[in-house]
Amino acid sequence: MADDATELVVETQHLTKIYQNRQIALNDVSLSIEPGCVLGLLGPNGAGKTTFLRLILGLHRSTAGWARVFKQTMSPNAADLRRRIGYIPTNPQFPKGMTPIVYLDYIARLFGLPAGVRKPRLATLIRAVDLLPHSGESIAHFTPGQTARLAVAASLLNDPDLLIWDEPTHGLDIEARRSMLELIKSLAAEKTLIISSHNLSDVDEVCNHACVLNKGQMIFHGSLQDLKGRIRKNHYELDLDGEQKSITKCVQAVRAMKDVTHAVLRLRRLEIKLGDETPNALALAQIFQTLAEHKITLITVRSVGMQTEQAYLDLVEKEEGRGFARLYKDVEAA
Amino acid sequence: MAKDKGRAKMEVSPPVVTVRFNKFLPYWAVFQTDLRQTARSWVFRLWVLMTVLAAVGLLLYRVGLHKEAGMFQSAATQTGDLFRLMILGSLALVVVLAVSSISSERGTVADSVLSRGISRYQYFLAKWHARLVVVTATFAVLAFGVILASYFLFKDDAQTDLSFAGSCAAVLAVCAVLAVIVTWGVTIGALANSTMLGITVFWLVLYGAGFLLSLMPEPWPSPERQLTRLKFVLQGQYNPAAITQLLTVSFVLCAVAAAVGLLGFSKRDV
Repeated sequence: MADDATELVVETQHLTKIYQNRQIALNDVSLSIEPGCVLGLLGPNGAGKTTFLRLILGLHRSTAGWARVFKQTMSPNAADLRRRIGYIPTNPQFPKGMTPIVYLDYIARLFGLPAGVRKPRLATLIRAVDLLPHSGESIAHFTPGQTARLAVAASLLNDPDLLIWDEPTHGLDIEARRSMLELIKSLAAEKTLIISSHNLSDVDEVCNHACVLNKGQMIFHGSLQDLKGRIRKNHYELDLDGEQKSITKCVQAVRAMKDVTHAVLRLRRLEIKLGDETPNALALAQIFQTLAEHKITLITVRSVGMQTEQAYLDLVEKEEGRGFARLYKDVEAA
Repeated sequence: MAKDKGRAKMEVSPPVVTVRFNKFLPYWAVFQTDLRQTARSWVFRLWVLMTVLAAVGLLLYRVGLHKEAGMFQSAATQTGDLFRLMILGSLALVVVLAVSSISSERGTVADSVLSRGISRYQYFLAKWHARLVVVTATFAVLAFGVILASYFLFKDDAQTDLSFAGSCAAVLAVCAVLAVIVTWGVTIGALANSTMLGITVFWLVLYGAGFLLSLMPEPWPSPERQLTRLKFVLQGQYNPAAITQLLTVSFVLCAVAAAVGLLGFSKRDV
């Protein structure tokens, strides 16, 4: 991703984690993250996303390979590096018997922030995340939304350069999720972010880069545009207008085309699948020609499936289909 | 977050300030928080409550014998007996307090602490020191309370029985032993995969070693024999060199345990 290695915020080489010689959680992951990048970490359950994040944070030690953050090797004792990182774990849990003010003061002291800095900052953040009315309540009784807001405030206390948020929208209601996404967008202007998520629409909305993990292996790393560019553009829906008889005849003609593998008419909506190797523009041109010959009006045409989701599913499916060829690395990278 | 007002505010970034980090602050934060949380824990409260109830019950019984039946009660013997009961009764709960220090926080709670600007060394040291202070200070306070109560309740006999220097030496000796137990407990907790496993292993080792030592002949330090001798120490009949030796051995054992814990914990996944 970067030409100049000195600019990198995160760099990993052959990062591998095997738990107690029983479970391969991460397998030979090499990637680099530039400043200003908003990386969406994608993958199914057990893909190794959280393990990857924990290795970057120094919470876990790698079995092989290394992770560098801000050009320095990350380790469990690299406290100085972690002072520049803001982290939200999945389902954040807090020590019992604390109020938001006490908790944030504790976290700020863990960063080594002197009282003159931490007190005004935590007050600003409590106000910013709208926890002011709850600042005297015990965090043990917080709702998931309030917990997420407190976790956001804790991760921003040290004004970090790198934010690592593990499933930040997990368990949030629609409004809270929307607010979280808006916050990520505004933070993306000045910080580097790594967002792990199951929700591809979230990633699609806020990220500019993606890294796809599957069974511990990185199968894609590059820009989100590049990920979308790898989508198999072979599945379309066409909304038609015209005489039903003409439409039926036209569909029969479309079905007869050698490039069309699947054509189903539901009322006035035609669903078409093209062959994998077919140049889609040429095939679509032929279909449009056929529609014109039958005097059918084309109202809309659209690619089926959300692009990022489709691209992600394609990647995972393709990786599964490689069988023993997975032995040879074929990471799709920009 | 749900409100537009809050959303607008969330976008406001704090002003840029050049911050001079205090590297010892993370240690103090964990130390102070652990002190507070330990004092609030049910294990600690149960330990203090049981000790106080046992001490008050035994003392009242002996006072009854002293006042009503006119029986001679040696304050040193009462205090020695109480110390013995306190130590044997406390051991199980002190082990729980020590082992659970780090192991019970493994997972998401430790995540939210260790992902900040604190090293594993600072975290281990803060946890160890907090538990050490809680256990030894609590025992010392309770022990001196028992000594004072014995002194005042059996004042006539105590004038020739309890010695101030001996009392200090006895409390110091017990605290040194407790410090070793706490340090090894914290170390086992830092290295064990589960709290229950750590507690079980440590209980087995402690009680097993105590039982085996009690079967050994005189030169071996049998816990039972040492505890029986406490009443003589309380009377001032002790060898300062032996106390110094005990403190030195305890210090060395604590240092070894801490080194093992520090090195082991700094290489573990949390």
